[in-house]
Amino acid sequence: MPGPRRRSPTGAGDDHVHALIQGVILGVLTAGVYALMASGQTLIFGIMRVVNMAQGAMVILGAYLSYQMFTSLGVDPFLAIPVTTAVMFGVGVGVQLLFLRPLHAEDKSQLSVLVTFAVALLVEGLMSVTWNTTDRGINTGYVNASWTVFGYQITLVRLWAFLLSLAALALLYLVLNRTRFGRAVRASVQNPESARLLGVESERVAAIGYGLGTATAAAAGSVYGMLYPFNPGSHYDLISRLLSIVLLGGLGSIGGAVVGALVISVSSSIVAAAVSPIWSQMTFFVVLLLVLLIRPRGLFGTTVRGAI
Amino acid sequence: MKTDNRLWTLGLAVTAAATLVAGCASGGGGTPGGASGPLVIGASVSLTGDFSDSGKAIQRGYQLWANMVNAKGGILGRQVKLTIVDDASSPTQVVTNYQNLINKDHVDLTFGPFSTLLTIPASQVAKRYGYAFLAPAGGGPAVFQLNLNNFFFVQPAPTIQSGNVFVNYLLSLPADQRPKTAAYAELDDPFSAPLAENIRQKLEAAGVHTVYKQVYPSETMDLSPVMGAIAALHPDLVVGGTQNEDAYDQVKSLVQLKYSPKFMFQSNGANSPLEFPDKVGAANTEGIMAPADWYPGSTAAGSAEFTAAYIKAYGGTAQSVDDSSAEAYAVGQLVSAVAAKTGKIDNATIISTLHSNTWPTLLGNLSWSANGAPAGEFNLVQWQKGTLLLVYPTSIAHARPEAPKPNWGG
Repeated sequence: MPGPRRRSPTGAGDDHVHALIQGVILGVLTAGVYALMASGQTLIFGIMRVVNMAQGAMVILGAYLSYQMFTSLGVDPFLAIPVTTAVMFGVGVGVQLLFLRPLHAEDKSQLSVLVTFAVALLVEGLMSVTWNTTDRGINTGYVNASWTVFGYQITLVRLWAFLLSLAALALLYLVLNRTRFGRAVRASVQNPESARLLGVESERVAAIGYGLGTATAAAAGSVYGMLYPFNPGSHYDLISRLLSIVLLGGLGSIGGAVVGALVISVSSSIVAAAVSPIWSQMTFFVVLLLVLLIRPRGLFGTTVRGAI
Repeated sequence: MKTDNRLWTLGLAVTAAATLVAGCASGGGGTPGGASGPLVIGASVSLTGDFSDSGKAIQRGYQLWANMVNAKGGILGRQVKLTIVDDASSPTQVVTNYQNLINKDHVDLTFGPFSTLLTIPASQVAKRYGYAFLAPAGGGPAVFQLNLNNFFFVQPAPTIQSGNVFVNYLLSLPADQRPKTAAYAELDDPFSAPLAENIRQKLEAAGVHTVYKQVYPSETMDLSPVMGAIAALHPDLVVGGTQNEDAYDQVKSLVQLKYSPKFMFQSNGANSPLEFPDKVGAANTEGIMAPADWYPGSTAAGSAEFTAAYIKAYGGTAQSVDDSSAEAYAVGQLVSAVAAKTGKIDNATIISTLHSNTWPTLLGNLSWSANGAPAGEFNLVQWQKGTLLLVYPTSIAHARPEAPKPNWGG
């Protein structure tokens, strides 16, 4: 039996409107996953002024860890998140201490691009050796399930991922605004010198910050592995998207990352569904360029340091 | 003085002989009959880099053939020795490698690398030195445009024509069972989109109405909006001009969108016996069609022997055999066949003999036009109850095609 024939609820078989609305739904749900990845990216920039080119590779590493736990131990990818985030937190701290701390403060931002790109290549190489270059996917029993709501399909995994992202972002927000560590982070961002004079251990803050940013990548990676097939080279496509989201939202702003993810995900989804998937990739950059022309610091970026 | 003269003459003779030998080795490969040592075959294969999985599969195919031949006493009494070097998937390294294999290692024959990207420069190097170039992969249009008579693409047909068998199958159906409408989602690369376009043109000419056609760039990570647009148009047929990741994503998206077309064909991805069910879920494979040359359970010449040897050497089952290994093995089969037929094994003989006949291999019967384009057709395989089965052409099919495709398993 072929699949059920569905007509658009808007009537008169208006297939284009149906495709468009379905595109918006998919875009919004997918945005949650991107917001999660990008929040880590923007956090790392906010705290350390490090343009983190390794975030995409960390997401894919998170996906592999989750894949390994699922295939070897049968652990559900959502339940694996506490473990993978803990491991990836450690990886992040290690990267900060080994590769980023030695950089001189005056040209840290510029050098960090190269150093973190090298880290991305290193991680990619290690993943290729460990899991080889075959595409992998995490296929749980529910991975393709979806709910039909008014004739539209709500993919379950995307919905859970969206909710998970909201929860993780809320947690991140609380950590930064309600804890002593969060105050130390914000102090370091606003004025590293004064913060240090007042007893904030900025090296420790930076290490924990990079760890946290990487941990969000792990959480996003688990979901990413369920949504898309991945291989060690998948991070190249991710990183350009993440940088666009972070720039659009404003560097260092977590709220901006969420809005940036929404704008970019929904706009490219609509264009892919209604115009052409070729232009969908461009949409990203068109939106980004327009925003930067009108508002060079991004939607929520501030001219003052320390806007996390 | 006399002694000096003699020495001088001897020196001249040795130099002349050495030049002659070197000339033979670099000019025309192994000399017929004259050579008695091992038959050295050189190949550059991507053991690292982007193509490393397929590269390793090709290496396995070459090695299996060499082991098999050597166990039976070699080719014309000469043991086969493979010299395989890594090109790291790089089109510049592949040139260096073949130049070294030919000029430095003086190999007798050369076998091809993986991918069109690497086959183009490599086949030109082989041509320059008069080597036959049998390539198990790299059947993009650009390869045949080189018009090299030493080049043989060892697959049943040029890659972009591999969908012809699907068109033939659809047109063999009674008119009321054929799809009326079709949607085409095509990956923007040198194979996938042209392959799907080839199908579209043929089906449009046969009256199948195109309701959707879009090309997506390779960096598209999420095909669900595209598949959503297709689902909204509910076509009878969905043709995916796909490679791997995008093939899986197309199926997953359609499952999530709860749209199952009556016919679904993917140019690549769906023909992977192990990867495809792993990525899309075994229950969602049922009824999906794809082209194939070699397939598990094939009864073509030497297939059973190859399959048994593969499993013995690398483990797994027939389903886990990579078809790139079978294609590489077929390259060796052809060389064995030429030697058996002519009693000679040099490059000129291989080139002229392969051009003048049809050759049974584990990929089916192969023959070539002057530019190395194979003159046959691919087979059509379909997923039925978790297994890839040959369903068309009917004369060699193992099962009847299942149509319409059942609904997704979820």
